[in-house]
Amino acid sequence: MKAGTVLVVDDEPAIHRFMTPALTANGYEPLRADTGSEALALVANRRPDAVILDLGLPDMDGKEVIRRLREWSAVPILILSARDREVEKIEALDLGADDFINKPFGMGELMARLRAALRHRMQEKGETPVLRLGTVEVDIPRHRVTRAGEEVKLTPKEFDLLAFLVRHGGKVLTHRQILREVWGPAHEHDTQYLRVYVGQLRAKIEDDPASPALIVTEPGVGYRMGG
Amino acid sequence: MSVEEPPRADPEALLAAAEREARGQLRIFLGAAPGVGKTYAMLNAARAARTGGRDVVAGIIETHGRAETQALVEGLEMLPRKAIAYRGRLVPEFDLEAALARRPSLLLVDEYAHSNVEGSRHPKRWQDVQEILAAGIDVWTTLNIQHVESLNDVVQRITGVRVRETVPDTALQKADEIILVDLPSDELIKRLADGKVYVEDTATRAVQSFFKPSNLTALRELALRRVAARVDSDLVERMQGSAIEGPWAAGERLLVCVGPDGTAERVVREAKRLADLMDASWFAVTVERPGHVMASRDRARLDAGMRLAETLGAETRALVASDLPGELLRFARFENVTQIIIGKARRRGPFGSLRRSLADALVRASDGIAVHVVTAEAREAGPGMGWRSRLPPAGPISGFLAAGLGVAGATLIGLLLTRVVALPNVSMLYLLAVLLPALLHGVWPAIFASGLSFLAYNFFFIDPVETFTVARPHELLALMVFLIVAVIISAIAGRAREQARLAARRMRSTRRLYDFTRKLSALPDEARVAEAAVVELHATLGRASVILLAREGSLAIAAAWPPEDRLDTASMTAANWAFERGEAAGAGTGTLPTAPWLFRPLGGTDGGRRIGVIGIEHDGAGTPLDTEIEGLLGTLVEQTAAALLRTMLSAEVTRVRTAAETERVRNILLASISHDFRTPLASILGAATSLIDYGPNIPAEARQDLLIQMRDEAENLDLMVRNLLSMTRLEAGALDLRRDWVDVVELMNRAVAAVKKRGATQRLVVTAAPDLPLVQADPSLMDQALGNVVANAVRYAGREARIGLSATVIDGQMVIAVTDDGPGIPADTLPHVFEKFVRAPRAAGDGGDGSGLGLAITRGIVEAHGGSVSARSPAPGQRSGTRIALRLPLGPEAPTEEKA
Repeated sequence: MKAGTVLVVDDEPAIHRFMTPALTANGYEPLRADTGSEALALVANRRPDAVILDLGLPDMDGKEVIRRLREWSAVPILILSARDREVEKIEALDLGADDFINKPFGMGELMARLRAALRHRMQEKGETPVLRLGTVEVDIPRHRVTRAGEEVKLTPKEFDLLAFLVRHGGKVLTHRQILREVWGPAHEHDTQYLRVYVGQLRAKIEDDPASPALIVTEPGVGYRMGG
Repeated sequence: MSVEEPPRADPEALLAAAEREARGQLRIFLGAAPGVGKTYAMLNAARAARTGGRDVVAGIIETHGRAETQALVEGLEMLPRKAIAYRGRLVPEFDLEAALARRPSLLLVDEYAHSNVEGSRHPKRWQDVQEILAAGIDVWTTLNIQHVESLNDVVQRITGVRVRETVPDTALQKADEIILVDLPSDELIKRLADGKVYVEDTATRAVQSFFKPSNLTALRELALRRVAARVDSDLVERMQGSAIEGPWAAGERLLVCVGPDGTAERVVREAKRLADLMDASWFAVTVERPGHVMASRDRARLDAGMRLAETLGAETRALVASDLPGELLRFARFENVTQIIIGKARRRGPFGSLRRSLADALVRASDGIAVHVVTAEAREAGPGMGWRSRLPPAGPISGFLAAGLGVAGATLIGLLLTRVVALPNVSMLYLLAVLLPALLHGVWPAIFASGLSFLAYNFFFIDPVETFTVARPHELLALMVFLIVAVIISAIAGRAREQARLAARRMRSTRRLYDFTRKLSALPDEARVAEAAVVELHATLGRASVILLAREGSLAIAAAWPPEDRLDTASMTAANWAFERGEAAGAGTGTLPTAPWLFRPLGGTDGGRRIGVIGIEHDGAGTPLDTEIEGLLGTLVEQTAAALLRTMLSAEVTRVRTAAETERVRNILLASISHDFRTPLASILGAATSLIDYGPNIPAEARQDLLIQMRDEAENLDLMVRNLLSMTRLEAGALDLRRDWVDVVELMNRAVAAVKKRGATQRLVVTAAPDLPLVQADPSLMDQALGNVVANAVRYAGREARIGLSATVIDGQMVIAVTDDGPGIPADTLPHVFEKFVRAPRAAGDGGDGSGLGLAITRGIVEAHGGSVSARSPAPGQRSGTRIALRLPLGPEAPTEEKA
């Protein structure tokens, strides 16, 4: 069965060379683009289920590709990035990319990220009022959270934060995105709030708050919802 | 200070206190006369201090064999004296170095006013003490009141004995504490009679007159007043320091006008006494007229007066104005001076009255300012401001000869003319004969001509002719008028000439200074600035000059003119002193005056860096430089320091910039390496993990391709590592060529094969001229050199490009060219393509960015073979594209036959 169409955008032929057989072996249908404009055209024509995008493209900045795609498409975007370009990566995530992976990478990890992004997209399509994250269930309309069936008491802010994170499960959220959505645009840079609340949430919902599995820290970038 | 202002601590008072804190404290035991027991009192206090736990050392104590004093010395640590050879005998002196090395907490130094024997570091002991204080060591010392500089005159008047060893008042003012050691006069005389007072042999003749009760009483009064004044000023300083409103606000300010006559010294001392009595600050000023030349004797007297004023604590100023009283009063009003002191020489003769006019003019115009006039004996007085002093020296004899000839000529013309026409006024001719030498040769030949004309006119033209008698009275009158007119013309014309000469000289010296500054500012480095500066100094001052600069902590000669590469020990010591203290040292100064050079520090003013010293060789006499040369030297030293500092700073800037550039290159290299390595690594890791995780799901063919990709990328990485290594070796000059016979066609084919293996899609064509000779080259390095060029073409020319490799022999050189029909290299990048880290903009969709090293390595390798590289874009005969050519020299005996 076809797990979906995946567009790989990279100007290095070598990347396509190993990516194509790997994606095919995992049941995806690979599409290839070498430039940003080629990528934009292919997304419009072939409607891929996910895009794997290298930020360094010869004809336009990878961030520009994300900006233009996000104007009309919600397709999950996975960024291929270099470790020394942290700032670029955060900007790309702020622009609406879903996740990132640092070069060089193992194929298993890439496939896992791809699956998570696609699953998250399915979930969004379903628009279920009750979201699940491991053993934690979040009932958005009734403001109730249970862990292994037992109710967890959360402050309103904690609930807002958890709801926002769970709604974007499988996606990397930057500090700025979370702060803007949960605390408001005036608090975009108050990362200390975030650290305190995330600590409290972890204490309440994680099995082992010392090595969290649900709210995973992406150092210097933000948080990723696991489970 | 206005009344409304809140009291504020006087910064100068605070500063003085702060400065004193870092320095050692100075306590002076002051006595009215020898024998009052100063040394005894000092030793007693020192013993008490030692018992109190202080580290007390006696630097030098003169016990004069007195038992009581000797007993007090027992048990005190005593520095051994230093023997200094002077006129064939050894004089034991205070050992300054030993004292500085010992660094006690408190040092006792007897007899503050002592003059050191020649060859010591300082001429005076009080200067030794200043150095010890500067090193942070406390000093106690003893002093008799008659040794105080400003009291010198007074003491002489009281006792009739001239004291030669004096201590400047500033050295006394620097004392933190003055303790009066007093003894009633009768008791002192009794002690003298008992033989308890030591009197130096040289003074014995004066003993009788000196130790009179009236003298001693007067000296005691002087000492008491001095200490009382000191207590008063301490109080004021403390009040200022803590911003207490006090009675000093409306203080008196004195101004003493120092002239070049013999009264100068007297007037200055008088001013000092008045200033002390009134507790006032005081100025000493000289007023020079523009264009006025001063005789060297006057100049010396004026300088001596000003130097004395400075040592007595006056603030000195040199004013320039033609209106003497006007300028004095203007300055006085500006500085809020309340009293003016001027000297007046009592003089015989008609010119004595000229001098009075200054005092008169001052008194007439000095509204609200008191004027003191100090008179001096006429025999002391010099010519002062009399007209004689303004006249220049007579000049060479030729001027007089010319004047004589002129008069003879005028006489001859006059005689000839009177034969032809009746000339009523022959005297006009003689006026001409006076005017010409005045303009050409100066005043004296002109006056000579006047006298001569007077005689000749009388002799040849006035009846009775050919006698010196004059018959008619009106002709006598005419003759006298002629003489007066002639002399006046001589004087005026001579003065005009003199002033023109002076103006020219001044312009020359200004010009010289300007040239000096300009010359120095154009020089690029320290060594050349120093060289030019000493040559210029020598030319300007007429003395040997040397510049020493601090290099790694010690001074070394940077330049000298006439050339000199070493200085004697005394001079080096003086130079180091000048450098460390930032004060002048050596000949003509208070420090090491026996050294043959005068050293001035370079830089270090206004918080700037001190960079070295400048030395001027002194004339044999050891007299101080006069103010004019001093001023010029000061300016030259400043200009030199500025120029040297400029070159040093610019050298530093260059150094910093080079470091920054190196840093930038390193960063680019790191970024480029990490980038270039990432893609092959990503491919290898991606392909390997695909095989490991999903191997069974991948078709066999694709599996094979992944494995090949891993191998290719690993080879790519290897190539990059090799390039980097080669670059490093090329840069270090450590590339060793292993030359062998190389077939260029084979070389080109290998390069094509290499890029094809790495997936090149372009059409690659190899062409070669027939019978191509072999070349002597390192095969593997040449592979790399050509490989880089071809790889570059593949990367930049586009996927469908056509790339041609060709080899031909042109002018005894093997030319290997790589030509593509790609987009070409932009004109602004083209000249730099063979430099490191230069990359052309990349065509879309093609391979990764190069490291920017490839072509640089190619050039390095080809040049190591004695060849050259070149790049052209667009390629010759095409509208676009690039042609890179490598030229290798052909060996003379290249074997062509071997080629199969």
